[in-house]
Amino acid sequence: MKISMVIEEKLSAYITKSKKLNSSNFQKKIKTALLSNFTLDGLNETISVKCADIQIGCNTFSGGYNQYNEEILNDKSKLYSFSPDICFLILDTRKILGDLFFSPYNLPVEKRREFIQNKVDELTNLVKLFIKKSNSKLVVSNLVVPTFSPYGIIEAKVSYGLQEMVRDFNQKLSDICKDEDSAYLYDLNGFVARFGQNNVFDYRQYFFGDVKISLNHIPFLANELLGFIKPILGLNKKCIVLDLDNTLWGGIVGEDGFNGIKLSHNDPIGRAFIEFQKYLLSLHERGIILAVNSTNNLEDAMEVIKDHPNMVLREEHFACLKINWNDKVTNFYEIAQELNIGLDSMVFLDDDQVNRDFVGTSIPEVLTVELPNDPSLYVPTLTELNDFNVLKITEEDKKRGKMYLQQRKRTEFKKNAPNFEEYLKQLNIKVRIKKATDFTIPRISQLTLKTNQFNLTTKRYQEEDVRKFSQDKKKIIGCAQIEDKFGDNGITNVFIIDKENEREWVIDTFLLSCRVIGRGIENAILSYICEDAKNKGVKKIKARFVPSKKNKPAETFLPDFGFKKENDYWIYYLNNTIKSPNHLMLKIE
Amino acid sequence: MMSEKLYNIISKIFSVPITEINDESNPETIESWDSLNLYMLIDDIETEFNVKFTLEEILEIKNVGDFKKLLVNHGCELNE
Repeated sequence: MKISMVIEEKLSAYITKSKKLNSSNFQKKIKTALLSNFTLDGLNETISVKCADIQIGCNTFSGGYNQYNEEILNDKSKLYSFSPDICFLILDTRKILGDLFFSPYNLPVEKRREFIQNKVDELTNLVKLFIKKSNSKLVVSNLVVPTFSPYGIIEAKVSYGLQEMVRDFNQKLSDICKDEDSAYLYDLNGFVARFGQNNVFDYRQYFFGDVKISLNHIPFLANELLGFIKPILGLNKKCIVLDLDNTLWGGIVGEDGFNGIKLSHNDPIGRAFIEFQKYLLSLHERGIILAVNSTNNLEDAMEVIKDHPNMVLREEHFACLKINWNDKVTNFYEIAQELNIGLDSMVFLDDDQVNRDFVGTSIPEVLTVELPNDPSLYVPTLTELNDFNVLKITEEDKKRGKMYLQQRKRTEFKKNAPNFEEYLKQLNIKVRIKKATDFTIPRISQLTLKTNQFNLTTKRYQEEDVRKFSQDKKKIIGCAQIEDKFGDNGITNVFIIDKENEREWVIDTFLLSCRVIGRGIENAILSYICEDAKNKGVKKIKARFVPSKKNKPAETFLPDFGFKKENDYWIYYLNNTIKSPNHLMLKIE
Repeated sequence: MMSEKLYNIISKIFSVPITEINDESNPETIESWDSLNLYMLIDDIETEFNVKFTLEEILEIKNVGDFKKLLVNHGCELNE
């Protein structure tokens, strides 16, 4: 079996489907632009079809053939009037190197360095200009490193030879993308390496029409680019729900026993499971939540998780463990509820086809992965999934696993508290109000993009938007970091206020991450906003509740606080006393 | 000589009814006959008939009849 698990349709199938597309009904929409210095016909159509498959309405733009310079330099270009959300700039080595592609050694080494530096400078200029002129994210591909050289086997002996030139270009490009927040590197060289240059590059198509990625690899390339589109729309997966027997270890613990399961370094099958766990752990460490949904005796399974010498994943890595004899669908709903995350952000991994079909058909929102029946293919199956991408890893992401552990302890503490008021008091909640800064802006944007439940208006803002707001004198952007005796929840609240005029403020956005709902925190922050407004002579605060499919938890927030409905708005007059909960500490930073 | 299989592929790629295709069909009579579609067509034909054309052969293709000739030259049986 091939390592690439993904079986793709031919480009022609996508083109046919693209003609019948009607994506105007989709709630989520995105505008993508494609710039290139070679022919990428069919890529936009394929992206549109793949977007429609996951309920995204995609509107595409394609720059003229090799017109990327003009499109970016000219303020009045079609690119800017299209106003994309994301722009892909895919570049080809041959075009960049020109004659040097075959004869690099006609130039002395210093000239070769100069040549590459000039090309990097040109591209850097384009990247910076585009980012300045547009609100769009920019994804730039690196160059495919040629696998041949006129020098043959002694290529590496040549100082700054052909391959080194291209690698140097790539390194410099990667550095630019590190510095520019809105620029991302797409590893086209890695894509070609994965599929093989001899497969991806078809000489006939190249001579026929300057096609450098063969038509049947276009759908694979589209998959990769979708990896950037999904997180912009908040469609990335956040949680992996795992079966145990034959998923995390070989065999069935209830039958084979603690010593009988396959999880040994001395056994090839055992090594496959150990490696799979290591990869899952790496996902956990960067913020993917892990949970267990297993039909098993709790004691048998926990003994392995706690005491088996070769287990990589331990109890503390799981935000939730459902190990019982209930059906997997019931367990699944309970996990989603306990973790307070949407079913559509969950992935299910189970070796058993019956379980997969049961969960897959009962809860279609969940991404149920077709695990191959050979555990040695578990790792590549998971690495092929392009659904865990985020555009930024925030501090909160890295701490997420720990936070869910704290949450489990909090729940236990609540069970033992004499009453709710006492529980809140003993939590020692601290709320730190922070401004929008370079440190908080990525998280502020992230929260607006993914908070669905306690969110008054569900307005989504990219980092670029938040950055602009933060410089606008007519707006207040704030966020709050929440701590309590069990630990730091990180930044879990965002508010954005429009200072309409001296007498009136309008709440544009107010949201709270679901893991801190129900502890009076939202009221404390809103009181702070009211006090702040009152001190500045403002007379009334206007707010709206815009109902969505998911924001019911925020529905009564405004009236409960004392806002009164007037036409479309909820109004709070600041001559009223502003009540604030007294079980928590509020600090303004 | 008529090939159901060939006409089906052509009809699918160019999105034209099979009844409108004949040996004389060419970029003038089939509006969607552009270079991308032509290349996808070649690709599908190569897969379906298990053949590989040279670049020169591809450049010689002026109409549907040329595809038939090419396939015959490559030893394909078109009487299905």
